[in-house]
Amino acid sequence: MVSLPEWVPDWLLDFPAMDRSTLTAIKKTIDTGFREFTRAYGAGFETALSPVKWFMFWMEDLLTDSSWILVLLVITGIAYLASRSLKIAASVAVILLLVGYFGMWEDTMSTIAMTVVATLLAIIVGIPIGILMARSDRVQSVFNPILDVMQTMPSFVYLVPVIMLLGIGRVPGLIAVMVYAIPPIIRLTNLGIRLVDKDVLEAADAFGSSSWQRLKNVQMPLALPTIMAGVNQTIMMALAMVVVAAMIGVPGLGLGILRSINNQYFTLGMFNGLAIVGIAIIFDRVSQAYGKRLQKHLEVVHG
Amino acid sequence: MKKLLASTILAAGIMGFAGAASAEDCGRVTIANMNWASAEVLANIDKIILEEGYGCDAELVAGDTQPTLTSMIEKGEPDVAPEAWVNAMRVVLDKATEEGKLHYASESLSEGGVEGWWIPKYVADKHPEIKTVVDALNHPEVFPHPDDASKGGLYNCPEGWGCRVITTNQFKAYDGAEHGFELVETGSAAGLDGSIAKAYEAGEPWFGYYWAPTALLGKYDMVKLDFPVEFNKEEWDSCTSKPDCADPKPNAWSKSEVYTVVTDRFKQAGGPAYEYLENRSWENNTVNKLLAWMSDNQATGEDAAYHFLNESPDVWTNWVSEDVAEKVKKAVK
Repeated sequence: MVSLPEWVPDWLLDFPAMDRSTLTAIKKTIDTGFREFTRAYGAGFETALSPVKWFMFWMEDLLTDSSWILVLLVITGIAYLASRSLKIAASVAVILLLVGYFGMWEDTMSTIAMTVVATLLAIIVGIPIGILMARSDRVQSVFNPILDVMQTMPSFVYLVPVIMLLGIGRVPGLIAVMVYAIPPIIRLTNLGIRLVDKDVLEAADAFGSSSWQRLKNVQMPLALPTIMAGVNQTIMMALAMVVVAAMIGVPGLGLGILRSINNQYFTLGMFNGLAIVGIAIIFDRVSQAYGKRLQKHLEVVHG
Repeated sequence: MKKLLASTILAAGIMGFAGAASAEDCGRVTIANMNWASAEVLANIDKIILEEGYGCDAELVAGDTQPTLTSMIEKGEPDVAPEAWVNAMRVVLDKATEEGKLHYASESLSEGGVEGWWIPKYVADKHPEIKTVVDALNHPEVFPHPDDASKGGLYNCPEGWGCRVITTNQFKAYDGAEHGFELVETGSAAGLDGSIAKAYEAGEPWFGYYWAPTALLGKYDMVKLDFPVEFNKEEWDSCTSKPDCADPKPNAWSKSEVYTVVTDRFKQAGGPAYEYLENRSWENNTVNKLLAWMSDNQATGEDAAYHFLNESPDVWTNWVSEDVAEKVKKAVK
């Protein structure tokens, strides 16, 4: 029984924390405030996001309601057009056929739909932010910590406010995915533009290009390989969020994984997990091959 | 001074010895800490009482109905499931108790758990014609699906819970799809609770699976809809609770029996500690009050256990002998 002498004050041993009632009061006040906020603006957010919802459903219906042969052909075709590689196109077709044969076609299509929508939105929102960050150090110093928080904050933390604002379903799931998946594209757009050679920019200035021309014709093309790496990372991170999204009711492969976690269905979990890996490989190889092709093509122009 | 020191050491030694000796009586016990509030509180209460009152070396293990009970049957671990909702796993559990692997101790909730399909009170007031689940299914326009307003939505039980199998089968049995409804997958407990809280804050309609006793039902006034048929045990066991039942027939939830399930090992080893588990039982009203306190104070299961042991000795002292009650009272002060 080790104890310290009487004269040692308590606060040296125990951290002098805020007392419990104050802490509870703070938590309650913030919670009530947030509740009032959701009551006032929840409907507004839902309306503002209705185009996203529509797009999401359109994409999912397109993939799940069309004949599987058509979907298979189109996806393989896109893979070929992007990569110009028969090998990649063939492996895409094989992966999709396997996934379908193991009875996960519909779930896989839902997951692909969500990933595609999330990636497109991330590009639309992320690239302009990245450009702004590249142009101004002040914007960069504001956004960097925000991006740090988005990438490190455990996603379960922001699931609660997302559910309170938007309920459960595909759109709140998409928001949760975006929060996690958008930072790489913003960061790498910023980085790519900042890495463009100063001499090249000087040359562009010397030819009298406006700042828009400089961005469009010099910085963006030269930054494109880095930006494509960002797109690739965004896709991978969006896929990593599939299970978390399933926790707020997004259909797809994630639900199967949740079921397998809760019931110890090892095989079911493995199948769904491998299907996600399969989709990831498709997206990864196709986007990388496309990125490389862009680079080559550009080299010819500039070289 | 030396004498004082020596006697202190001796006293400490004796106390330590006494602690070890009584721990040997009961030994190590693992308690399943299920991931919903009422079970969490009960698991913590059990932990405190078994440790302080019976000298067990108790440890909480996170769990969930099906995985925990399966693990108890297959591996004999954890030892105690303080609040096991046995309905969904009745057949397997009965078999395990017949084989002597598991034992039902007390009925944790003396009134049992109430499960079913609920709607918010304000919806029930606005639509007095909706009294049964069939009435609700006849009005898909009242309960729009969150993703597709042209359909009605029935919020399903979270993925992997026993009630999800049952709700899905019942939805089929009552022709939910033909009535223009679609199940809304909630995915997780957070999703299900969140969807109710969101609906309530916005005054929106909601229709789905829930159960009592829960803090949520204490906080948000909800009405349980009646089922038009009586509980049919045979159909329930052979089909309603089976994930792959081909042609489910309409059925209804019975009162859910909620037992403390104990492994054979602990029944043999526990001695008086097992007797405690046979006595320990409380009413829904007590639980609701405690859960409401918990949610008001954002307390953890452990906080609530201490709160309960401090504030409601009239309930729990009936579960234990007088000297155990004294020991526990001293420990929780």
